[in-house]
Amino acid sequence: MGEFEVDGEEKLIVAAEYLIKELRSVISEDRDEEDEIDEVEQRLNVVSEKIMTRDVDESMIWDFGSDEGNLYLDAVNELRSLIDRIDGSSNGTEKLSLRKAHDVLQTAMARLEEEFKHLLVENRLPFELEHSSFRSIEADHGVEEGSVASFGAASTEDLILGSSNSRRNSVEIVVDLINPDVISDLKNIADTMIASGYDRECIQVCTMVRKDALDEFLYNYEVEKLSIEDVLKMDWATLNTNIKKWVRVMRKLVQIYLLSEKSLGNQIFGELNEIGLICFVDTVKAPMMLLLNFGEAVSLGPRQPEKLLRILEMYELASELLPEIDALFTDHPGSSVKSEYREVMRRLGDCARATFLEFKSKIASDVSSHPFPGGAIHPLTNYVMNYLMALTDYSYTLNSLLMEHDDVEDLTIPPSPDIINPVMVEEESTYENSSSPEKFLAMTRHFYTITSVLEANLQEKSKLYRDVSLRHIFLLNNIHYMSRKVLKSELRHIFGDKWNRKHTWKFQQQATEYERATWLPVLSFLKEDSSGSGSGSGSGSRNLRPRERFQGFNTAFEEVYKTQTGWLISDESLREDVRTKASMWVIQAYWTFYSRHKNSVGDRYIKYSTDDLEKLLLDLFAGSSKSLNNSYRR
Amino acid sequence: MRPAQDNQGSFLGRISIRRNQFVDVNNEQEQEDLELFQKHIADRFTELLSPPSQQPPSDETNTVASVAATDQIMSVTWLRKLMDVFLCCEAEFKAILLMGRDPTQISKPPFDRLVPEMLDRSIKALDICTAVVNGIDSVRHYQRLAEIAVAALEQRPLGDGNVRRAKRALANLVVALSLEDKENVSGGGGGGGGGNKTTERSWSFGRRSGGSSAASKGGATIGQLKSSSWSVGRNWSAAKQIHAMATNLTPPRGNEAAGLPQPMFIMSTVLVFVMWVLTAAVPCQERSGLANHLPVPPKHLNWAQSLIGIHEKIGDEWKKKEKKGSAGLMEEMTRMEKLGHSLIEFADGFHYPAEKDAAESATAQVAEMAEICRRMEEELVPLQQQIREVFHRIVRSRAEILEVLEQAGKLSAPVV
Repeated sequence: MGEFEVDGEEKLIVAAEYLIKELRSVISEDRDEEDEIDEVEQRLNVVSEKIMTRDVDESMIWDFGSDEGNLYLDAVNELRSLIDRIDGSSNGTEKLSLRKAHDVLQTAMARLEEEFKHLLVENRLPFELEHSSFRSIEADHGVEEGSVASFGAASTEDLILGSSNSRRNSVEIVVDLINPDVISDLKNIADTMIASGYDRECIQVCTMVRKDALDEFLYNYEVEKLSIEDVLKMDWATLNTNIKKWVRVMRKLVQIYLLSEKSLGNQIFGELNEIGLICFVDTVKAPMMLLLNFGEAVSLGPRQPEKLLRILEMYELASELLPEIDALFTDHPGSSVKSEYREVMRRLGDCARATFLEFKSKIASDVSSHPFPGGAIHPLTNYVMNYLMALTDYSYTLNSLLMEHDDVEDLTIPPSPDIINPVMVEEESTYENSSSPEKFLAMTRHFYTITSVLEANLQEKSKLYRDVSLRHIFLLNNIHYMSRKVLKSELRHIFGDKWNRKHTWKFQQQATEYERATWLPVLSFLKEDSSGSGSGSGSGSRNLRPRERFQGFNTAFEEVYKTQTGWLISDESLREDVRTKASMWVIQAYWTFYSRHKNSVGDRYIKYSTDDLEKLLLDLFAGSSKSLNNSYRR
Repeated sequence: MRPAQDNQGSFLGRISIRRNQFVDVNNEQEQEDLELFQKHIADRFTELLSPPSQQPPSDETNTVASVAATDQIMSVTWLRKLMDVFLCCEAEFKAILLMGRDPTQISKPPFDRLVPEMLDRSIKALDICTAVVNGIDSVRHYQRLAEIAVAALEQRPLGDGNVRRAKRALANLVVALSLEDKENVSGGGGGGGGGNKTTERSWSFGRRSGGSSAASKGGATIGQLKSSSWSVGRNWSAAKQIHAMATNLTPPRGNEAAGLPQPMFIMSTVLVFVMWVLTAAVPCQERSGLANHLPVPPKHLNWAQSLIGIHEKIGDEWKKKEKKGSAGLMEEMTRMEKLGHSLIEFADGFHYPAEKDAAESATAQVAEMAEICRRMEEELVPLQQQIREVFHRIVRSRAEILEVLEQAGKLSAPVV
């Protein structure tokens, strides 16, 4: 029994000891927990102390450098994890410290917001125009041109403008909009703010500062806020200036600024974070819409041919920038910008096409009531050809715009008689960078009809001259001018050789017609057998005696001299050609007649030597009327 | 992309079938179309004036009823309905104006005067649309401020820190909401009416140098937050534009009253009215005096009854608000403003732990504010899209009318 008792006693002791041990350990665990709470409280106090002392200090933390800032962030982050720990233990007594911790956190967040803003503002880098100007300078000087005269006005030579050849090779340039040294600081602050649930405040501050920076960029580019009504009321010169500005700023904005802005957002908020995207869209949406609104306004304006080049320029830029826009505004918050952009681009395209067609119909309806002085190159011809030349800078764009709607167009515009020929197409294909021989098919077709319309109009205008010879000189001048313009410019690739051969033939035809009309009657006085070709005044000379013939010739020649010195062939070599041919006719006939009759006819009837005539003929087509009556009557 | 098109398409189809049945557009048919048009206008606006789920407008901010009245006049939902109504009216009008009509008809008197006037009005409407879309961006900003307040006040336990955070956001919100347009321009530095670039610029320099000062803490951010985004153009004024749109708008008389001038007058009235409502609803550049500016159509016109009714309701509200100054009459905004004020009051008197009654009523208010934010989040962007849709529709119609005029010009050219 005793053994048993002992045994039992021992067991009891063991059990008691175990119990005590257990109890002790429970107590000590309680103590651990208390210690831990004390420790949390302690840390909380330390961290809060740090944050609160900083808050009294008005100076900005990051002004003392990143290290100072990181210390502060460490404190805030510790505070946050302490809050999490207290939050985890559901003990009612900790509510007080939790509340206090939240208060401190709020103070820290308000502070961080300030610091974030301060860093963003202080480290903003001005968007230097030089940062990136190499590309656009090239584009800019190309589009300089004088006043684009209104339709049909003279002097439109200066319409010619080589626009940027460098289009279509876009370059991605990202510039630093913020001093790169502080990016990591900004990122750290943003991380902490977002982790603490202050993402909205973070977005707000960032958007606000960046909007301001963008405003300044737009200010530097002199972007004005214009309502649609403002734009529609603008005179052409002002509108022209504004379009040029628009083109410049759009290119710079989209290709450099927006790209840089978006990458800044990515740097601060991380690539995958939607917050960067929200900031980006909030920052740039309003200015983008402002610029798009201008495009919209331009496309709403009346279709005036003088605007076409500018509108094409806008459209071309818009389509050039489209891939960038698509990439910048892919995702949900920015997709409305993307669709507005496409809409405006479409409108500009429609507007360009409609304006081009308007140009065509304006040519047909350009009516003159008086013959153009001197039979010279008509301003309309000048305008149309320079216009077409200028359009070749936009061949690619214009062609594709016309292509889109050509099926419809074909119904309204009869195809030109000399439409596309295989010869030309072959030549096209040898031309430098033509990827496809039918590259400018639609444009070619339209240009053919335009020149046909122009020629028809010139025919009408030529009928205003009562003098048949002058009609021919007028057509000679104008068709020659057209063909020269085509031959000497990019237009030759569009019109092709056949067109040119045909038009060379056409103006030579006019030259021949002129010679007949002017010189046959004059020379008929010198034809003794008078078997025929002369008509009109020549018919009366059949039975004339030689001295009467000299007299008749003199009078007729002087008449021609008097009128035709006043006519104008401004192209030197053409003038030379026409004079030479006239000279050949006249001198030869005169010399034959002269050598036969010089002895039988008195000197006073022979007023001119062949040399005299040759010299006199050089006075023709100089544009200033001369008279022979005095100088040669002595 | 364009949701309203379907319904336009079917409508046009219907009209054109009917027109084809009457080969020459006879008078009786036209008369019938006009009457139908007027009836539709009347019906649509009647529905807008008293929607099926009619709720008396409640002044109590904390009742459940006011939360539920989603399609109350001037609510976002209602404004979206208004846009739909406009698009329907417009489609119907265009069918009457252009379908199966001899183009030369609308180039002859009195249309040689009426049509250009109408086109001019449409251009002005485009700028107003732009201004309003910008205005909605401002509202989106208010929404975000309110969201901060809601997020802060939803914290449990609610301590001083979060109350301070909420108060800061609320203070910004209330100031932004109650600013008069003109103050916005000068105070906000955001290129409104007179907000030329120099102000913006000096302002931005000011920020840069003053950024670190204590002055920039607290509520100094509203100005910048409004930013320059809601500017249409220098010296542009919504009030002036609305006024100009309405000046030459007179009901047709005599013979004209029976013909095409009548729907033209109706459509123009609807256009001006809708633009007026939009400028009243959201912050809009320079609109002083607009509360009184809109000439209402004569009361005896049947189609105009409900429109006049809506006009009176909004007009009264506006006159009340105009004295205080307000960013907009959008129902959610006015409620937001009220809630903002009373929550600020709550925040001002806040000592932990909050008094039970105050806490309960604040909780209800926060819930209502959250509900408003949610609705704004859901509906503001679609509303913006609809206004853009209206914009594009007006542009398209204008182009179509110009095209017809051009045709008419060509047709009549040989005669001249």
